[in-house]
Amino acid sequence: MTAKQHTTVTVNGRVYQRDVEPRLTLADFLRHELHLGGTHVGCEHGVCGACTVLINGRAAHSCLTLAVQADGAEVTTVEGLKNRETGQLHPIQQAFVDAHGLQCGFCTPGFLMTTLELLRDNPEPSDEEIKEALGGNLCRCTGYESIMASVQLAARRLRESGGV
Amino acid sequence: MAAELPRLPEQLPTSKVRYVGKEVKRVEDPALVSGTTEFIDNLTLPNMLHCAILRSPHPHARIVKVDASAAEAMEGVVAVLTPEDVKRWANAVVTSPPGWGTHCLAIDKALFVGEPVAAVAATSRHLAEDACELIEVEYEILPSVGTATAALEADAPVLWEEHGTNIIQQRTYSWGEVDRVFAEADHVVTNSFRWNRCGANPTETFGCVCQWDLTDNSLTCHGAYQVPGFWGLARSMSLNLPANKVKVISHPQGGAFGGKGGARGTDIAALLSRKAGGLPVKYIEDRMEYLLAGASQSWDRHYDASLALKADGTITGFKVKLLDDQGATTETYATISVAKPLAAFTGNYRIEAAQYDTTLVVTNRAPAAPYRGYGPPPHFLVLENLVDMAARKLAMDPAELRRINYIRPEQFPYTIPSGNEYDSGNYEAVLDKVLRLADYAALRKEQAAARAAGRLVGISVANTVEPGVFDWNAYATVGVQGVGVPEGARVSVDILGNITVVVGFNLQGQGQFTVAAQVVADYFGADMNSVKVTMASTDLAPPHFGQGGSRLGVAITGAVLGACQKLEADFRRLVAHLMGGVPVEQIELMDGRFRMKANPTVGMSLAEVAGVMLGRSDLLPPGMEPNPTATSVWTAPGRNMPDDQGRCRSYLTAANAAHVVMVEVDRQTGRTEILKYFIVDDCGTRLNPATVEGQIQGAVAQGVGAALLEEYVYDAQANPLVTTFVDYLMPTIHEVPITQRDFVVTPSPVTPLGAKGCGEGAIHTTPAAVICAINDALAPLGIEVTETPASPMRVWKLLQQAGAAG
Repeated sequence: MTAKQHTTVTVNGRVYQRDVEPRLTLADFLRHELHLGGTHVGCEHGVCGACTVLINGRAAHSCLTLAVQADGAEVTTVEGLKNRETGQLHPIQQAFVDAHGLQCGFCTPGFLMTTLELLRDNPEPSDEEIKEALGGNLCRCTGYESIMASVQLAARRLRESGGV
Repeated sequence: MAAELPRLPEQLPTSKVRYVGKEVKRVEDPALVSGTTEFIDNLTLPNMLHCAILRSPHPHARIVKVDASAAEAMEGVVAVLTPEDVKRWANAVVTSPPGWGTHCLAIDKALFVGEPVAAVAATSRHLAEDACELIEVEYEILPSVGTATAALEADAPVLWEEHGTNIIQQRTYSWGEVDRVFAEADHVVTNSFRWNRCGANPTETFGCVCQWDLTDNSLTCHGAYQVPGFWGLARSMSLNLPANKVKVISHPQGGAFGGKGGARGTDIAALLSRKAGGLPVKYIEDRMEYLLAGASQSWDRHYDASLALKADGTITGFKVKLLDDQGATTETYATISVAKPLAAFTGNYRIEAAQYDTTLVVTNRAPAAPYRGYGPPPHFLVLENLVDMAARKLAMDPAELRRINYIRPEQFPYTIPSGNEYDSGNYEAVLDKVLRLADYAALRKEQAAARAAGRLVGISVANTVEPGVFDWNAYATVGVQGVGVPEGARVSVDILGNITVVVGFNLQGQGQFTVAAQVVADYFGADMNSVKVTMASTDLAPPHFGQGGSRLGVAITGAVLGACQKLEADFRRLVAHLMGGVPVEQIELMDGRFRMKANPTVGMSLAEVAGVMLGRSDLLPPGMEPNPTATSVWTAPGRNMPDDQGRCRSYLTAANAAHVVMVEVDRQTGRTEILKYFIVDDCGTRLNPATVEGQIQGAVAQGVGAALLEEYVYDAQANPLVTTFVDYLMPTIHEVPITQRDFVVTPSPVTPLGAKGCGEGAIHTTPAAVICAINDALAPLGIEVTETPASPMRVWKLLQQAGAAG
């Protein structure tokens, strides 16, 4: 065991300061230190994408990122998507509900975060661009069709309402 | 069972069905997209410890000594579980057939790589894993059995010395005059097939938090349990506890597709809690543990099979010889997957005689586990490929050869040679619809043009029957006795008219809470969003099984309807009394009101009736309890015990589907690309069409994985070569075709609301359809794929043999 390191991370707009072991992953830090359990861990080796969060606005595998690497960073997790005032679902979340883009829902937070990055970068993605963006997220339930439809629906609604 | 349940949605007590059969939003989803659903790893109990497991690195080894002293002395470690503890406190898990179960830790011998040998409970998972490294295990390495064929060799090492053989069961079923039909056949087609191991791989692995109460000597298990009551019963047997002292609290599961719920993990966490003085112990399986030794590996099969036909194409006989590698033990009921094909042995066809010669063996591979479809998907791959071989031999179109052999609509209910009775169907309507959807004639033209240009393009038309609503009687031949699978629901109305449905299972992805809410809302004319569906722990739940065997949608519908009917009867009696003692027959329920038949404007709402029942005991008729609650437990009607050839009415429903697939095989690489994919299915009444569509497309993805990508590879000594998702190739958005679909509805005449089991769906057909399409592509070269997955390497080797590779 190595000495703990002081780490400051802003998660969903709130600043957290913790002393953490260098080997602690960002996923475990979020889930078990900050009790933000919406970021799920599916493989712990960077293939399934369930643990995807945004670090400084870019999608990243929180299972392959150490908490200490996020020192000073801004992290967005699925818990940061809802409207904090009204509790309303984010348009991407609502689109996944409306287009049945989930079954068991375990991989869903990762898809939502990847989609958030995609639609910020590219508000009108083609099917191929959606596939390219979501190629690193595994879903074992849906066969991806309804996820494609959810992303398209979210993109359309966001364009109509003026962006992510 | 009380009154007859409604056979169709139109028979519900409502003038306009609002929810059943409609695409409704799932009640499960808002929490799931918010990330607030309590999956098991989100649960933290006070003073909770964390478990890590030390696993055997050897496929077959005697355990000479386990020295845990250094681990026990480590700071942060609270308990270490060793084989000695397990010997003292636990039994081998109950298996089917009996006597082939291991303990949660290897006792004396490890039988596969990844088998637990010791375990640690510490104040963090990191520390527990560190402590595992301090445990010293002395192994005496034994020769191993790597394959099913090796298991049968005369000088093969015997894994289970007490049995003296590696054969678990050898049994031949014979139905009808098999020898005669084969002797009289004009054509016989024969082939061998190899289905390599693939498996469930839900995105969430197994996990649990177990707490042993040392005062009460009772156990509570929170976890990702797919069939909570069943797991609780099994724990009572393995851990020597009365069944009512084991409480299972099932958490929502991040997918299952088979055996979600770890026997070993649970027993280990439970015994660690016992050893740690009753502190709760969490065990979360990691992906490598899952791939090595979780309930993940299914259908390790060698087939030799034949089809007998008349000159006109009539199929008369089907013979299957199966050698099935169950891995090291039979503890996860994977043996059942060998018996399940009896429920639909001859698929969509009228075949008068059939034979099934089965040999189940143990090897030093990981124990096989259940997976969506539970056996028939490989079986149908064999049947459908033989039908295509026959079509080529007879120079018939594969669709037409299938058509002339279909069970016809007027023949239902139809008893197949292996004994099950199909409830209903219209296979020709399904076929015609999918051929139209695909524009089959145009596809064949497109194929001819591609072939002329030297491309390897193939088309398949494959169809299967999905046995739905499983029953234990289907598995009696592998040792699971019993008829009926009770599934209960408790429906309550509170004093303000809100409705709560209590069930015995938790979320898993198929949307059954939504189905329960749809049914109860339409029954009582309530808003679906006002209905609360919730799960009770096993000590409070009605009898239940949970998800499995394409059954729960139908079963929970039956249970909810039964409970609604009981409530309705009580409420009508109360209203009749309140209306001055009119005969109860004069009161009817319609659109949520209990009203006078003769004067429908006079009546009471659900809230008014429940309010009186709970708040005005002075107004109740004599003998009526103030209890607006009813429980109903549903099981499939008309099931019976099997005869000596395994024949019985087992699965209640027979959904069916036909797939048309067009693929192209790359000559240079052997890689298969799916160009077009069409599906028409018939699963009777679609309770929530969006859910049904999701099940179909999701099962296509798994079928494509099985056919082209997924494989648990072992070396000849049974060392696993696949331990991460880098090696086990899960289908991504790039590999799964977006299918074009349509449907036919032939309501089941024997189920509530006419629904048929559809949860396993397309995985029955997709592997067959994809492999048949590849073989159609390869047919001009005179080669064929008979092994799954049809990976680029396998296909490229065939192309090399044919001198056809680029």
